[in-house]
Amino acid sequence: MKAEKLKGHLDLLLLSVLSRGPGHGYEVITRLKLRSDGAFALPEGTVYPALHRLESAGLLASSWDVVAGRRRRIYHLTLAGEAALAEQAAQWQEFSGSMARVLGASLARALAASTTAVPGHAPAAGLAGGAA
Amino acid sequence: MTREADVPGDLIEDYLDRLLVSLSGSPRQVRHTLAEVEAHLRDAEAEGIAAGLPQETAQVQALERIGPVHAVTGRPALLTRPSAALLRRLTLTAALVGGAGFVAIGGAGLVGRLLQALKGNLFMTTPFPPGTYTRADCARWLAGDPATRSCVTAMLADHAFDYLLQAAACGLMGLAGLAAYLVLRQRWNDRATMTALPAGTAEGLGAILAAIAAVACLGRVFDLETVQRGVGVGQPLSLGIAAAVAAAAFALALWRRLRAARLRTT
Repeated sequence: MKAEKLKGHLDLLLLSVLSRGPGHGYEVITRLKLRSDGAFALPEGTVYPALHRLESAGLLASSWDVVAGRRRRIYHLTLAGEAALAEQAAQWQEFSGSMARVLGASLARALAASTTAVPGHAPAAGLAGGAA
Repeated sequence: MTREADVPGDLIEDYLDRLLVSLSGSPRQVRHTLAEVEAHLRDAEAEGIAAGLPQETAQVQALERIGPVHAVTGRPALLTRPSAALLRRLTLTAALVGGAGFVAIGGAGLVGRLLQALKGNLFMTTPFPPGTYTRADCARWLAGDPATRSCVTAMLADHAFDYLLQAAACGLMGLAGLAAYLVLRQRWNDRATMTALPAGTAEGLGAILAAIAAVACLGRVFDLETVQRGVGVGQPLSLGIAAAVAAAAFALALWRRLRAARLRTT
């Protein structure tokens, strides 16, 4: 997924990742990649300004600890962060549900067309002519 | 994994150097961000080495993954370029020197007002020679000073008032310039900007310019004293005094700045 598209949802993703337990920056990025099966790969540096912004907003708090011989800044969700996560997740749920309902029929046709299309040939009738 | 902090040719060290001069915020925020980004990069490097990559390749991969410095600072790339930092520093220098210069002219107005009260308008301004002004000019000056019937007296009062008014306007512009300087300095308080010019550049420039202005104005005072026997001395004298005070203030600030810089390096 394009990093630009992801940026708009980065706060929600970070809050969600940290809701599973505290973690340092590198750990947060690793969890994000694992949980998205590698789809959410963005320049890793962009996570730090987002983490700092969330901390300034009081949604995250951080403390320093030594992990595997290195000083780490460990982030965890605050109560305000939990509330913000719940609110943003509900908004996302509503938005994605609406999108799915709008796209439903055409999405099914596009998926069907992409599975039947043969490289070098005209696309299937579902996409070209619009017949069901 | 432990490493020497300063390894020649270490790409991660080079990246952290660039990051350090691009970060804004308090010293603590800068230290913390630098520490967590270094831990991140060393983790990524260790991961690459564990996967069988040579160290340099592992570092390149770690740096590609973290992205450019402006991704970490969260500021546009343009604002983290050295040229942009220099531009910001020059703007701050111009605002400080210009603002202080205009405030000094405002101060000259106050000195001029004092001199006017003590020595009169003839000390402040030189009258136009006879024949160089019209009756209409006279009427206008007399209208501004109904207490007098002399055109020359009214002209002197008008010119002295103009000088004080212009000095006051300059003083207000200077205060606006200094306010802009304070706001911008708070906004651009990052290392790249603050180190784009040598310490004390603004103070040194201000001291030199103010000293030149003081010498020029006081030289004019000497000239008027000898040639015109003191007529019109007030303006250059007030400007010369204000410029000399500004030069002394800038010189003091320069001395303090250089002393602080010296203490930091020892």
